[in-house]
Amino acid sequence: MNQRAVAITGMGCISAPGDNLPECIGSLFKGERNFGSPVRFASDNAITYPVFEVADDLASLETRNTPDISRTGRLFLKVAFEAIGDAGLDREFLRSKRVGVCMGTTVGCVMNDRDFYRAYLKGQDPDMADITRFLRSNPAEVVARELDLTGPCQTIANACSSSTDAISVGALWIRSGICDIVLAGGADELSHVAWNGFAALMITDSSPCKPFDRDRKGLNLGEGAAMMVLESEGVRRTRGKGARAFILGSGASCDAYHLTAPHPDGRGLRRALKEAIASSGVETKEIAFVNAHGTGTQDNDRVESGVLNDMLPGVPFLSTKGYTGHTLGAAGAIEAAFTVACLEMGRIPKSAGFTNPDLRLPASPAESEMEIRGSAAVSESLAFGGHNGVLVFGASGGLL
Amino acid sequence: MNLSIQGIGVLGGFGCGTDALVSALSSGQCKPQSVSVKTSQGPREMAAFCADTSRLEEFVNKKNLRRIDHFSKMAILGSCLALQDAGKLGEDLSRMATIIATGYGATRTTYAFLDSFIVDGDSCSSPTYFANSVHNAAVAHVSTLLNITGPGLTVSQFEMSVASALLTARCWLEDGRVDSVLFGAVDEYCDVLGYCWHRYFRDRATTEHDMDPFNFDVQSAIPGEGASFFVLTRDDGGGSRYGSIKDVCLGMMDHFTEPPGRDSVFFIGADGHKEYGDHYQRFLSGHPRAACYTPLYGSLPIGPAFDIAVAALSIKSGKIFPVPTGKNEGLGLDTARESPGPICCVKMSSRGELGAVTVEA
Amino acid sequence: MTVKEKLKKIIIEELKLEEITPEDIEDDAPLFGEGLGLDSLDAVEIVVLLEKYFGVEVKSLDEGKAAFQSINTLAAYIEERQAQ
Repeated sequence: MNQRAVAITGMGCISAPGDNLPECIGSLFKGERNFGSPVRFASDNAITYPVFEVADDLASLETRNTPDISRTGRLFLKVAFEAIGDAGLDREFLRSKRVGVCMGTTVGCVMNDRDFYRAYLKGQDPDMADITRFLRSNPAEVVARELDLTGPCQTIANACSSSTDAISVGALWIRSGICDIVLAGGADELSHVAWNGFAALMITDSSPCKPFDRDRKGLNLGEGAAMMVLESEGVRRTRGKGARAFILGSGASCDAYHLTAPHPDGRGLRRALKEAIASSGVETKEIAFVNAHGTGTQDNDRVESGVLNDMLPGVPFLSTKGYTGHTLGAAGAIEAAFTVACLEMGRIPKSAGFTNPDLRLPASPAESEMEIRGSAAVSESLAFGGHNGVLVFGASGGLL
Repeated sequence: MNLSIQGIGVLGGFGCGTDALVSALSSGQCKPQSVSVKTSQGPREMAAFCADTSRLEEFVNKKNLRRIDHFSKMAILGSCLALQDAGKLGEDLSRMATIIATGYGATRTTYAFLDSFIVDGDSCSSPTYFANSVHNAAVAHVSTLLNITGPGLTVSQFEMSVASALLTARCWLEDGRVDSVLFGAVDEYCDVLGYCWHRYFRDRATTEHDMDPFNFDVQSAIPGEGASFFVLTRDDGGGSRYGSIKDVCLGMMDHFTEPPGRDSVFFIGADGHKEYGDHYQRFLSGHPRAACYTPLYGSLPIGPAFDIAVAALSIKSGKIFPVPTGKNEGLGLDTARESPGPICCVKMSSRGELGAVTVEA
Repeated sequence: MTVKEKLKKIIIEELKLEEITPEDIEDDAPLFGEGLGLDSLDAVEIVVLLEKYFGVEVKSLDEGKAAFQSINTLAAYIEERQAQ
């Protein structure tokens, strides 16, 4: 284990497969795909794109200090409570430590309430409640306020790699001694605005998405949240808490190529992956699998397949977006949580939506559930704007 | 670890470039523009500090700017000015990170995107507006146009955006992940923001008054927009004309066992919002020597980035600039007699968080 | 105004090709790459413009690929679809 490793002592997740992490993982291994038409908004678009929604409206979520916040805010709190519980922490203990909050989102920090804006356009003097709610709903601040945390807050808006980067930054805050504990994760609710945006970019599939498949036609949007409790070795050892896994390394880069298209050779992804592996200190033969970004768009999957084939030949990979949809700012955290859970189990589920290999792609994902060998795993995110983020996780190996 | 400030690029209501900022600082004056706000009772005039990006054509071919909105233009211009100031424009920037802090992101384009489908239906949603409305579009444009290939980061933490993003900038430099950081902050004025000010502040959102930030019981804020960018490197002891960022503190004010910047002069980010008045007064009760420059750039979440620029320019010029409150004085501070030692730029959030960035020669 | 004239005007205005006039665009010159210098994001924006200004729906980029070569091919596509 390298000296820079940061322990993960608790995790939480909510997404279309389930309302908590064990439920999600159970659903993945059963091969369930819970998609449907959006239930919380209606589009006048003739084409209906399937989505992966979270059924729970989270109205019964009990909070102390955060009334009237956005759905994204409630998704954050739901997984924060689960992660803290999983780590065996309580509010009082957290208040006594330097606890930072580092959250990724896209929808969660955009002021774009449609009803408010429509009324404003009509000159109807709309009520300010929607704007006030937005101002109360900054993701990192919501978590800190609810739990009375006193450390630094950072909401990262790096589009689709937001929460991969949030976890990477959170680990750095632990390593540099800024914090004893960091809650790091991501959340995004399904938004009609983003739904329109992705439809307009013509990268949304009107059928369930098929990452890395020959017939892939694009992504499906989803919603959800996931969170990790990252803990300094000092605090963890003092309270005698075992780690579920470790963050061994991370890498990030900008393609500096195009606003919406990835660099055709995956220039930035190669660099981020190389940095992540180098900083983790693991050898490529120790890498058990890769949880790819795998959106199901032509460009993304082609670039990723090429880079993985070159840099990690023969290492199994999968996309879990066939189970969750693309949850944007939450995707990195949800996939990180799945990566750690799979590493713990020594198995990965099949890459949902993949049936027919694309002969133009040099490598294909896991066709069926499989056992994995190796003590490390990689989760990668490619974002809009040419941003790439990669995390390397290591199994705890039962170490305290 | 200290962060050496190698270059500065600013634009705002005071104009474009450090010369414009120094000129506003020296005169202690900056007159806001008048903007029209749409209300149910018809248009109303309100003061706002707006930024002009026309100088961008000095740096970037107009053809490459056709799809780029005002928000990203401010970011790109701030970036070009800072890189030029640091002598790094056109150099190999593969070991540089791009970090942008913003309170609200590209709000004009966010609403332009809503317009595209509210007017013509969901199937007419504009992909270009959508792409530019995403918070990290500015980092994408900056990194692409200037070929900066290190990691990118966009932080949106309202008033704490600048201190929070700086915390990570320092970690990245300390960790050796990059050799330099293009660090900037941007926020923009838009019609909807004007409407919100009209609704929240009513008769205090006019063209009738000046900003009076030390008068903590009075709502006097005037919205501002602009960009403030820096080229930061690890301080290798070589020094910099602008000094270095020595410390970045962020968290709930009451929980700092040791208050930041004990011997500093404080540049207070109070920007005329009555709601925050108590927080600043409480902070100042223990830190009496304070100046405030918000009347030169207006009220915006990323205001501290301008204060850091003012602090760096104070160090470069070896003086504390007069405080533009109309009385030419700070609190417990005779600016004419003060020479710049450590300067701590302080911003409070509504929750009572403190973001403090200390700059020193 | 002919379909071609209208197309040129809309493309210049909506894609913000400020320094180009309708006369600069040759009817059979490529719109993408070396020609007008448009890219993949412009392509999806043109899809929206066709719907908004001509009532023509393009279901997928594959379908539009052949039509998006030049002003000539775009105009022919629009006229053919409008006649249906």
